Amino acid sequence: MADVQSAPDELAVDAEALREEVKIKYREVAIKPDGEFHFHTGRPLAAKLGYDPAIVDPLPDVAVESFAGVANPFAAGPLNEGEHVVDAGSGCGFDSFIAASQVGPTGHIIGIDMTKEMLDKSRATAGQMGLDYVEFREGLIEDMPVEDGWADVVISNGVINLCADKKQAFSEIRRVLRPGGRLQFADIANSKPVPEAAVRNIDLWTA
Amino acid sequence: MLEDSGFVGVEIGPGVDTFAGAGGEPNARAYGVLGYPFLARKPA
Repeated sequence: MADVQSAPDELAVDAEALREEVKIKYREVAIKPDGEFHFHTGRPLAAKLGYDPAIVDPLPDVAVESFAGVANPFAAGPLNEGEHVVDAGSGCGFDSFIAASQVGPTGHIIGIDMTKEMLDKSRATAGQMGLDYVEFREGLIEDMPVEDGWADVVISNGVINLCADKKQAFSEIRRVLRPGGRLQFADIANSKPVPEAAVRNIDLWTA
Repeated sequence: MLEDSGFVGVEIGPGVDTFAGAGGEPNARAYGVLGYPFLARKPA
């Protein structure tokens, strides 16, 4: 089982500085998806993580090429028709488009991201796919532009680990969920201790 | 941390070696990093 270590009360790194580093990294993933990164991307990554090829294969390349998740948030089961979904840290929109295929046009997806280039890409792709029930809003996971209790489900993939204040991120996710709502997310966890100096090294958060 | 944040019914799925073959593999190996699917609920 993963050893998900609790964050100390004091933030290990400056939250705003970390956000800027993350924006720089993911701006590059949006614009140059075939670039060299420390993680896999695109269709090979989706296959590696066990996404259903029957859903992924028909998606246009632009919907998949900048995908940079770390596991499959749908592994716990598919979403239900008509559900309201928040995709926290939606990136290029890949998981939002997977969710859209499951909830259908009676559902609604709100993707939240802070990187302009990712928002531009996900919005253009949703338009290209004719998905008028999928929208993307600019915002932070720690302060999402979504009303209280709106979501049946919150999904996220490889993003919460990039938040300096994880307690605030989970508190905000809890706020936007309805009572009984689900959090289905994917993220990394370490089974070996990370030295304090490494935890405080902002370069290692995105490398 | 999920339970501390008020979630219940926390489940963790099998890990996936998401960085294998990528540039981040050495750091992932050093700290035993894998990707995991998580499921949790807000109490009804």
